[in-house]
Amino acid sequence: MSFRVVDAGTVSWLDSQVIYHAVASAMTEETEDTMTLMNPATPYVCVGFHQEVEKEVDIAYCEEHGLPITRRQVGGGAVYLDHNQLFWHMIIHRSRAPYRIEDVYAQYLKGPVNALRAMGIPAQHRPVNDIQVEGRKIGGTGAATIGEAIVVVGSLIFDFDYELMAHVLKVPSEKFRDKIYQSLREYLTTIRRELGPKAPTWEEGKQILITQVAEALGQDVHIGPLTEREQAEVQRLRQVFTDPEWLYQSGGLRKKGVKIREGVHVHEAAYKAPGGLIRATIRVQGEVLDDITLSGDFFIYPQESITSLESALIGSPISEEALEQHAASFWQEHQIQAPGLTPGDVAKVIMQAAEG
Amino acid sequence: MHDLTSLIYRGCEFPADYLYDVDRDVWVRLDEDGCVTMGMTDPAQAQCGKFVHIRFKAPGRELQRGQSAATIESAKWVGPFPTPLSGEIVATNAAGFQQNILLANKDPYDAGWLIRLRPSRFEEERSALLPQEAALARYREKIDMRQLQCYRCMD
Repeated sequence: MSFRVVDAGTVSWLDSQVIYHAVASAMTEETEDTMTLMNPATPYVCVGFHQEVEKEVDIAYCEEHGLPITRRQVGGGAVYLDHNQLFWHMIIHRSRAPYRIEDVYAQYLKGPVNALRAMGIPAQHRPVNDIQVEGRKIGGTGAATIGEAIVVVGSLIFDFDYELMAHVLKVPSEKFRDKIYQSLREYLTTIRRELGPKAPTWEEGKQILITQVAEALGQDVHIGPLTEREQAEVQRLRQVFTDPEWLYQSGGLRKKGVKIREGVHVHEAAYKAPGGLIRATIRVQGEVLDDITLSGDFFIYPQESITSLESALIGSPISEEALEQHAASFWQEHQIQAPGLTPGDVAKVIMQAAEG
Repeated sequence: MHDLTSLIYRGCEFPADYLYDVDRDVWVRLDEDGCVTMGMTDPAQAQCGKFVHIRFKAPGRELQRGQSAATIESAKWVGPFPTPLSGEIVATNAAGFQQNILLANKDPYDAGWLIRLRPSRFEEERSALLPQEAALARYREKIDMRQLQCYRCMD
């Protein structure tokens, strides 16, 4: 059986979600496996299937900036999406897809990864589902079972609006937002950031993707339109995806912190020590404290030592013992005076943040 | 720990006295009160990986065979839990999963059950369900073809 590519071009923000869901839910064993390609004409925010919009997205900010919000039937976190991201969706009948989800990713990320490599970016598939370039993510992906189809979704990110992404998320504090923004800049890259003026044009990028997907799958690929059955499903799903009941269903899924890329998360917690409130906004990479900002209404002398304390803690393993040890040596070395605040309190608030 | 009457193939367990819908990856246990308890098979939990969330349809809901009784999100996948039998949901294991989201990854055939259902067309629909040995024969093909190995979460 050959493989169909539906190149939908630039579509409304709504259709950029609806079309692939429609192809998936209309799929039967007789339907060709399909890749849909598109980008949204205007920006929007999309939450993961089980997320609660009110808890994840700054709705007031989105309304103020004319950013619609929708929900996808794929997992993961809230994301900001716009016309600089070429969405690809592989829609495979379950009878023809690998059984293990890791194998699904391995098989269907090969094309997009090779497309980036063909452009000159040394991209790699980092299992389970990240595409990375030298430790920085260049594309998140997700998978779902929708009807009889297994769907793998992702995008070629030509450019990314880091600031808007950091703004659309609901965060506990502005420090947390800053940390997300810095972390996105540090750990998320784009085609144009990697290649500068050598970056392919949009159309060239799309062609490279189609060629590489065809090669990776070893199948004949042809460009084709949506079937009538799929178009009818598009009509139906437009209603579903704009129904407030779909958007505001309570899912109850709370993920720990905000994921920047595989293995890198930003968290925050506050802890009431006898000497006052201490708040830690942290970034964890693997099991190590990668970055930290401490704030609160506690007293510490010398006052400027707070920045050096943060630096001294960076690189510590995420364990209460190790963190307390790092803080205690700092206390001793700098002859810290902090009434009602101990190295143990510092370790405790970081652990609270890390444990969500 | 596996039950001694279970059949095990490449780490995947199939207990006796259960019925299986191999295509939907669901096990069914007949209860004394005429209801059935259902959950994901061992290969299914291994395939989707560690659960991060599950949302159940509410008790009282009438479902047709094939409809989703719950949606599951694992670290890397979202999908439905399709019922192999039509009927009314009488209970869900929401409380169990709220306490430990990894229940189905640790103990898919007992503590990790998902739904109890009062079947409405059991006699008609049970023919699609296979007993242990016949189910394993079908699973063996599926497991071999896809090189699957089952793992359980211990923590």
